[in-house]
Amino acid sequence: MTQNNREEFLRRIEEHKLIIYKICNSYCKNVSDRDDLAQEITYQLWRSFNHFNGTVKFSTWMYRVALNVAISFYRKSKKEGQIIELTAPYTELADKTGNNIELERNIDKLQQFINELKELDKALMILYLEEKTYNEIAEILGITETNVATRISRTKEKLKQQFQTLNN
Amino acid sequence: MEDIELKSLWKAQDEKLNKTLKLNQFLLESLQKQKAESKLNRLARYKTGVTVLGIAWTLFLGLLVYGNGFKNPFFSISVLMIALCNLVAVVIYITHIVLIKKLDYSNSITDTQKKLIQLQTSTFSIGRILWLQLPFYTTFFWSSEMIAANDIRFWLIAVPVTLAFTLIAVWLYRNLTPQNAHKKLVKAMVLSSTEYTSVIKAREFLADIENFKTTD
Repeated sequence: MTQNNREEFLRRIEEHKLIIYKICNSYCKNVSDRDDLAQEITYQLWRSFNHFNGTVKFSTWMYRVALNVAISFYRKSKKEGQIIELTAPYTELADKTGNNIELERNIDKLQQFINELKELDKALMILYLEEKTYNEIAEILGITETNVATRISRTKEKLKQQFQTLNN
Repeated sequence: MEDIELKSLWKAQDEKLNKTLKLNQFLLESLQKQKAESKLNRLARYKTGVTVLGIAWTLFLGLLVYGNGFKNPFFSISVLMIALCNLVAVVIYITHIVLIKKLDYSNSITDTQKKLIQLQTSTFSIGRILWLQLPFYTTFFWSSEMIAANDIRFWLIAVPVTLAFTLIAVWLYRNLTPQNAHKKLVKAMVLSSTEYTSVIKAREFLADIENFKTTD
């Protein structure tokens, strides 16, 4: 990878870094796993960056790579020593400094409910909440738009019910 | 809770997350150097090694048949059948290597995950094919003279052993499938607990993918 490519890659990743965070948060329950997954996603993105040809939007390409890596990572029953020990944590999340306790609680609950979804439903909901169009979601996941609509509607209903149960 | 609220909540975490992604060129290079040896690359190298050994073994068997010049048909046919089983396994391994090399994480999620599962479970299936060569290891020393001599040891030992090995090979071929991975005997015979769990999970996930792709 040339110096220009590296800079371009870093710029693009910086622009879309929240995608990595949110996917890691949704697929890993503990902080060290999140860090490992963020590392793995970044590495795979970097490896694939040379093949990115602009036929799809960068974010679409990035979601595909990141979600594929996250689902594979999640499915591994046992880690196989692939994670590199870096001298500093790879990701660092902001402290919970929120003044709005209710909001914090709801964010945590939403994250928890999404965490509990099956791998593919989780990917679907992340893309939906990220306000991707049904067409983009279908393209990323490799399913039809009708299927996207049906599944989103079902999963949303499930999430709403979980929130209602929580609040009652 | 309405859609808009779910989306607002999701957006609200941006602020929480938007602190730092400690990503810089130094860390990227460090990652690249240390992770050049990815799991899939290791798998491809392992499969390439096995393929080279398989090809060498198959060639050796071919030379044996050629050297024998079909003087003893039992020997030649047995060795040819063993070579054929190994050849099929070699072809499957080569297909795997191509699949690994072509695997692209930027393809759609369902397709990429299906390919990964295919890789995971087909390794399991190669074992079935290799078991088929088992009975031929008990027939290569047979000869027309042994049959003509009507030696009781041939009929009471050699033939029943071959029949037993044939039954075992056929049973294993039929039963050692990923679909049967949950069966106790299959589990005990072939799979370590880690492999067992991953094959079972792979099958379940494959069913999830198929289900996910259909609107019911």
